[in-house]
Amino acid sequence: MQKYDAIVVGAGLGGLSSACRLAKAGKKVLLMEQHNLPGGVASSFKRGRFEFETALHELAAIGAPEKRGDIYKLVNEDYGVGIEWLAIPDLFRAIHVKDDGTIIRDFTMPKGRKEFADKLEEYAPGNRKAMEQFYELFDECERALGYISSAHGSPDSKVLRSQYPNFLKAGAYTPNDVLDALKFTPSAKKIMGTYWSYMAVDMYRLSSIFYLMMVGSLIDGGAYIPRHTSHEMTVGLLERFHSFGGESWFNVRAEEILFNGDRACGVRTTRGEVYAKHIIWNGNPSMAMANMIPAEVIPERELKLANARKFSARMFVVYIGLNKSCEELGIKDYNIFISPGLDTADEYKRVGRMEKIRSTAALCYNVVNPDIGPKGTCQMSFTMAYSKDVWGDVELEDYVKFKNEKAREILELYERATGCSIIPYIEEISVATPWTFCRYASCPEGGVYGYEAAEWDNCMARMMSLSYDNNFKGLKFTGASGPRGDGYSEALITGDMMGKMVLGELAKEDM
Amino acid sequence: MALKIKIGKIGLLDMLKFKKMPEVREAHIAQTPADPLPKAYASNAKAALYHPRCQEVILSEIIPNGSDTKTLVFKSASGAPLAPFRAGQYISLGLQIGDVKTTRAYSLSSSPALAFQGIYHIAVKENPGGFVAPYIHENWQVGQKLTISSPEGHLYYEPIRDSKKVIALAGGAGITPFMSMACAIRDGVEDFDLTILFGSRKEEGIVYRKELDEICAQCDKVHVVHVLSDEEKEGFEHGFITGALIEKYAAGEEVSVFMCGPQAMYNFVDGELAKLGYDEKHVRHEIFGAVKEPWTLPGYPAEAKGQTFQLTVKQCGQVYMIPASADEPLLIAIERAGIAAPSLCRSGECGWCRSRMTAGQVFIPQKGDGRRYADVMYGYIHPCGSFPISDVELEVPGEYLN
Repeated sequence: MQKYDAIVVGAGLGGLSSACRLAKAGKKVLLMEQHNLPGGVASSFKRGRFEFETALHELAAIGAPEKRGDIYKLVNEDYGVGIEWLAIPDLFRAIHVKDDGTIIRDFTMPKGRKEFADKLEEYAPGNRKAMEQFYELFDECERALGYISSAHGSPDSKVLRSQYPNFLKAGAYTPNDVLDALKFTPSAKKIMGTYWSYMAVDMYRLSSIFYLMMVGSLIDGGAYIPRHTSHEMTVGLLERFHSFGGESWFNVRAEEILFNGDRACGVRTTRGEVYAKHIIWNGNPSMAMANMIPAEVIPERELKLANARKFSARMFVVYIGLNKSCEELGIKDYNIFISPGLDTADEYKRVGRMEKIRSTAALCYNVVNPDIGPKGTCQMSFTMAYSKDVWGDVELEDYVKFKNEKAREILELYERATGCSIIPYIEEISVATPWTFCRYASCPEGGVYGYEAAEWDNCMARMMSLSYDNNFKGLKFTGASGPRGDGYSEALITGDMMGKMVLGELAKEDM
Repeated sequence: MALKIKIGKIGLLDMLKFKKMPEVREAHIAQTPADPLPKAYASNAKAALYHPRCQEVILSEIIPNGSDTKTLVFKSASGAPLAPFRAGQYISLGLQIGDVKTTRAYSLSSSPALAFQGIYHIAVKENPGGFVAPYIHENWQVGQKLTISSPEGHLYYEPIRDSKKVIALAGGAGITPFMSMACAIRDGVEDFDLTILFGSRKEEGIVYRKELDEICAQCDKVHVVHVLSDEEKEGFEHGFITGALIEKYAAGEEVSVFMCGPQAMYNFVDGELAKLGYDEKHVRHEIFGAVKEPWTLPGYPAEAKGQTFQLTVKQCGQVYMIPASADEPLLIAIERAGIAAPSLCRSGECGWCRSRMTAGQVFIPQKGDGRRYADVMYGYIHPCGSFPISDVELEVPGEYLN
């Protein structure tokens, strides 16, 4: 009856990575996806003359040819996907702007340790020592995490205490605590906190380790995008999965996870029932428990955990194709974080309300990829993440008018902050709201970051609870809802990790 | 100098705090109630109503429209509202004709406001010699049940992008999306100035004549100019829709031009608009179905015409070996064999039928090739817009309609 070693449900990045890991090891794997494309939110779509990137802003851990990062090693070398990566010149520009257009701060931060520290000193003097210690702490954390993973998640606490004491000390604290401990000045903290929106949790509730790892690896290795959008990466992963002998079914929806006693043994789908020794679910565990798993096999602790958690980053994205080049429009930056420059805790609260849009991460792809579209055009996107399901209150009758109003607000915010006129040159526009992410990727509340990685449920605490979280026999969860939280890199690494865990269990079962 | 950061009061307590994180987490989980989880969250529930995978409807009324067209009125089978749409969008009808499972896209012609009452209208022209339209005309009665798609397509007014004034070019049954836009403006759902240049052969054949007259009388933002190709009459423009006619009604203002009609109309009007200096931003086309006579297009290998090749279709573990004519898109061969395959636009553009070609060669007309860049790199094709020029092996996605 067991036709497959594993069925992976959902071909998002986490599912693709798990599927590749298992198939590459020679296992018989079925990958199924409800949509007709792989990638989940990591995809592309076409409008008129343009093909738009759906989600990716930038990816760390790719690295230059002389020092490749972990994601390059996993995707390009281990899985063997021939993705061409394009380097983003600067880390970011950030503009803090008032509603009346008054610019409070405008800073551009370069990659590279020295360059970043020099620039920080220019904008916020008196932070050289703090920055040096930041790098030192980052290095120690990187080594500590390397040690923990080489110890298969069961590190020797003596080794940790003697060799990685600062990692242990920082581990239970927030980025804000750590930046204070390193004595960053208030204006330097404003700059160092810019990336908070990539995690959608303010600097007072994140895990400092995950913050340090992200910021540190971006400063060190810079950031990259694939030449032909996320779709190049996800179709590439799928092709490698096929070449490892994997089988994929698209446009097939899972309707129930089948259990034999308390062990998952298959999936009922729109194409009938399929059976396997292991199921890997690339979707949200709370939604799976509510709709896919028989109530009697759900442990009370899992139900409590699901009740205790919050979802993260309900996305609103405006994509535009312009009939002028970025040079003609005066656009020089790939990514600009625009906000009122408030304290991150206040920003977090503000994006939990449906009010006028005052913050966005704006991208102009042609700055990095001049050939992405036809000559004389450019394409941009504008993203913001809501911290509550406020789009759930919008009425169906008002939806189109409402989303267009919000789109106009975000475009006008960009024009106000940069002084570049873009609206008159829009040839194509598409607006994705949290409903769009519900539609295409079944994200809970349209939140693409899985569970909020904050406070008691931060990623460090999740990793330490890995062996008993989402504890179902024969069923594992991958993707943004996984232990490492959101982001392309995290989903790929979680997928790899879950694939390896299943391989370990299969090896034991086969003995 | 070794780094010794100090965060809490005593460093060792920090380490203990780190070690205790899972314990703290478990305590937090333990004190949370084990309430049943919601089946859907607010945004997910709204998204499911806005973008249902498919909808069940009943044909509730058939209204003669012009000399060779029928308006079909669909009502939601459950009585609940149908999915909202933007005036200009289409639905795809799921059809079973004999052993053939197929789909057809029709623009919605009714007001978007009616969807909230569970009502959609489409108009079907007789089209003698065709496969689906004559079947509908001859066989469908009031009470007919069918499954339709969610509203799709991108020919709609976008206030951030389009000019305040739109000139719509409609050829015959191509009036339907503009009929819906006219209703939307009348009902206050949309707000722009719409001038429809409506090409018909003769006055008696004009579809939606009465309805359009009524809207124009009620609403000063909608204007209809009838252009008759086969007769000259007082009060009508005569001939074809030309650049000069568009310029006459644009009256010097910046306009967006939307068009819906036969391929020949697009070919002619596009040339006219290019001469007048219209750019891509200001010109939008509705898709018009599969390319016919692919052998007339540049790049088509002449020797393939008229040949029949073998098509191997793999779909979710099933394998089918079927014949495929070089003169028709691969999707038609799949449907002829009674295999249910996904499709929406049937014009090569939307990608809903996107399939993985593992062997063989196809001819893909450049116009209407809606494939993503990486799909071209990795050999994915849209079977509704691809013609076999050798034996072909295809992995086709599954299809589910609920």
